[in-house]
Amino acid sequence: MITAPLRPIAAFLSLFFVQLIFQANLYGDTAMITIEIKDHLFFPSRVEIPAHTKVKLLVINRDNTAEEFESYELNREKIIPGGAKAVIFIGPLQPGEYPFFGEFFPKTAQGKVIAR
Amino acid sequence: MLLTSVILILQEILEAALIISVLLAFSVINHLSRQWIKSALILGIISALGYASQVERVSEWFDYVGLEIVNAAIQFTTALFLVVFASLRFKEKTPASAQLSDRIWQILMALIVCLAIAREGFEILLYESGFFGNPALWSPVFVGSLIGAGIGVSVGALLYYSLVNINAYAGECLALILLALFTGNMAAQGALLLIQADFLPSGQPLWNSSWLIAEDSMIGQLLYALIGYEASPTAIQAGAYGVFFTLMLVLFALRWPKKPHSGQ
Repeated sequence: MITAPLRPIAAFLSLFFVQLIFQANLYGDTAMITIEIKDHLFFPSRVEIPAHTKVKLLVINRDNTAEEFESYELNREKIIPGGAKAVIFIGPLQPGEYPFFGEFFPKTAQGKVIAR
Repeated sequence: MLLTSVILILQEILEAALIISVLLAFSVINHLSRQWIKSALILGIISALGYASQVERVSEWFDYVGLEIVNAAIQFTTALFLVVFASLRFKEKTPASAQLSDRIWQILMALIVCLAIAREGFEILLYESGFFGNPALWSPVFVGSLIGAGIGVSVGALLYYSLVNINAYAGECLALILLALFTGNMAAQGALLLIQADFLPSGQPLWNSSWLIAEDSMIGQLLYALIGYEASPTAIQAGAYGVFFTLMLVLFALRWPKKPHSGQ
């Protein structure tokens, strides 16, 4: 009784699964920018990237506490455990400024991506 | 830290509180036992603890996008459980089919709540654990967390009592529509995580309604938790939302009674 309605979902999930298999290193040439978190601050706090281009952000958390990289404008949200590294893909973006902040320490952890 | 803790814990608690409220209200309206919530809460907290303890390892998977993949898997699994949940209503109800669907419903509701608590709870645990070594902040973080959790649970309770105290048919219809919206939300959030991990292509936002309702506003946050409001979604997010929301509505329309609820 439930197999028929599940078919579109199964197809949808299969597509994701196929994507998972073939995706690895497909975009190896994506530009990478490193941001560090130290004492609940982002270094650098101002990141310039080319507009209309996908960019890989490597966020290294040098603090021993977790932080959550968050940006409403970039539509991104990601926890970075203390002492850990994380990768976040952003863009392609229209030219403009895109603020981001650390949700766990929002008063200090602030920054912005500038797409030119 | 007090205000930060209030906002952060409220955001995390709200989404779980709202789905728990809708499913509990559904149980009451359909005269199902609410015992499943106990095992769901216990299993959810254990899962959140387990996830939080392994978060560093998980975040390194798939070339440092492991958290996106695991969270997307949790969200798509939740959406899938909800689709099965919606499929388990038979127009011609026999006692055997009713008993079976009641049992499976309770298991599915427990699993959906367990996944919601694991997903939201591990973030709370990571946040709170950051203050272990800083006794000066224990008090504001604890009080803030308590206030945030209190508001989140109160909003959930308000929704629950609203759903069970209106006319049973209207309550059930509203609960089903909220479940359909929640399913769309799970699929859209899962899709966004796969875009963030570069497993799905990114694209320009279809629209930007932040001038009308900003995502970081109070209403924006509530709508995000309730129906997955996103001010600037991409086509893939909107498509995933649309597919799952429509599928749920079609299943409900095909299988749910069209006349006023008569009780069981």
